Amino acid sequence: MLDTPTLAIYELSVNVRVSWQAHSLSNAGTEGSNRLMPRRQLLADGSVTDACSGSIAKHHHAVLLAEYLAASGVPLCPACQQRDGRRAAALVERPEYKNISVEQILRSCGLCDAHGFLVTAKNASKAQGTEARQRLTKHSLVEFSFALGLPERAHETQHLFTRVGDSKEEGQMLMKMPARSGDYALAVRYMSAGIGVDTDRWRVAIEDDGLRLSRHRAILAALRDTLLSPDGAMTATMLPHLTGLRGAIVVRSAVGRAPLYSALVQDFVERLCAMEGGSLLVFPFETIDAFHAIMEHLLTASAPSLPASHRKPHLLEEHS
Amino acid sequence: MNEAPLGWLAAEYHLPATYSCRLPFSSPHSALISPAPGPATVRLALVRSGLELFGRDTVRDALFPWLRAASVLICPPERVALSEQVMRAYKAEAEHGQVILGESVVYRQMAHAHGAMTVYLHVPLPQRETLEALLRNIGYWGQASSFATCLQVNERAPKPTECAWPLRSLGEENLLRPYFCCVHSEFRDARVAWEEVVPFDGPRRRSGRSPFKMEVYAWPLQMVRQDGPHTLLRRTPFRENGLP
Repeated sequence: MLDTPTLAIYELSVNVRVSWQAHSLSNAGTEGSNRLMPRRQLLADGSVTDACSGSIAKHHHAVLLAEYLAASGVPLCPACQQRDGRRAAALVERPEYKNISVEQILRSCGLCDAHGFLVTAKNASKAQGTEARQRLTKHSLVEFSFALGLPERAHETQHLFTRVGDSKEEGQMLMKMPARSGDYALAVRYMSAGIGVDTDRWRVAIEDDGLRLSRHRAILAALRDTLLSPDGAMTATMLPHLTGLRGAIVVRSAVGRAPLYSALVQDFVERLCAMEGGSLLVFPFETIDAFHAIMEHLLTASAPSLPASHRKPHLLEEHS
Repeated sequence: MNEAPLGWLAAEYHLPATYSCRLPFSSPHSALISPAPGPATVRLALVRSGLELFGRDTVRDALFPWLRAASVLICPPERVALSEQVMRAYKAEAEHGQVILGESVVYRQMAHAHGAMTVYLHVPLPQRETLEALLRNIGYWGQASSFATCLQVNERAPKPTECAWPLRSLGEENLLRPYFCCVHSEFRDARVAWEEVVPFDGPRRRSGRSPFKMEVYAWPLQMVRQDGPHTLLRRTPFRENGLP
């Protein structure tokens, strides 16, 4: 039984400084077979800092979300059931999905709805015997920035590992891998008003508040876990120590953007708090348990708004 | 429409994370980016923002005639750092009824900015409230994960020396200095049709001409450092006497 929500969320942003120790969550690749290259980003102040790509965090969120959606009875398309990252695009060659619409995809898969999909348009080809295909797309509702190390608080240690080659003749091989530690600025945006909505045309495909609420709760739960249980590359042997999480969750309860402000800036929480008012709520936190408590509150007390172009009196917006 | 008094609206954006506005003609496998969005990107972002706020009919019938014709000037952030990132890309190929996922390496530049970026729109002042709402509602430029937060919108004329201009419009004095240049798309003209630029709204109109034109733009940014995959740009105003 779902609790009655009292807070409408149009959009939510998470602005955090997260502290990871001894990790290798995102890498640029390898140099030959014996050196793992960390990811680097030049900042506008001229310093080069450690970085973790948003793609890897988004992938982690999608995997978690699929589990939460399945557990709460939200349908997943055959591609998402198999965790195929192409989502709806993996289905369009099947005869039964040939003339599928965006609305049908949204209704039949909570993961395609939340993380988006892209089916590219195709011209008909007599030579190949293929029919024309229309473009079907939805933007992701959950977006992750790169996590950027605070230049003065991100460090790296090189470790020498040994590994055994494919055969006895290859013997022991050496591998250098970095372990990085630091405080990282990370931003996440979640547009909850887009649940069950074709966000190109802004047409609502799922009108039922209960169905939208189930998806919203699954997205929030997965977002909470993404930050509290870090995942990415090399976690089998280099699972990060999460040693801190501070920042602010910003909720826009009516139409508009929930501000994002870089946690590279020292006073980012104060700047966000100063914007509070009207339809903007700011929830600052200093510890992982405070973050957890806010997310638990939002899980039970919030529901997704409807888009502005689908205006009808909405009880939640009157109460928020 | 022509009788409404026009004025400049200035919208300032904080870019809170790395961002990536890919250049036209730049391969997705090795994507070069611009330090800030170009004029067509701004117009299309405003259309998208309008669709969210007001729905298709209002944007198409009331706002689009202004959005396609308004002068757009863009002042880049004070400093922009560009880094080349190596990413993994996957491509599914169907062979004999089996899908094989191929993995390859792709390159994409990512930018990080210091200071706000400002978009200037020359618009009818009676529509100020509506256009301000559009500008405030923009949450990203280029890629959806290229976050942007609108800090403020006010009536303010641009400083032409601090905005991007088509290279051909700059005088010789400016051309001699090493400004950052790149290709941007812009609407072909002020008569581009709605159906030409909004691909999902009914059958696409094929006029035989692209709704966009490509042009080399010069940004008032000069390179202050290049180190392997990293490039640092700093805002350096153009000289006034060379501007249109």
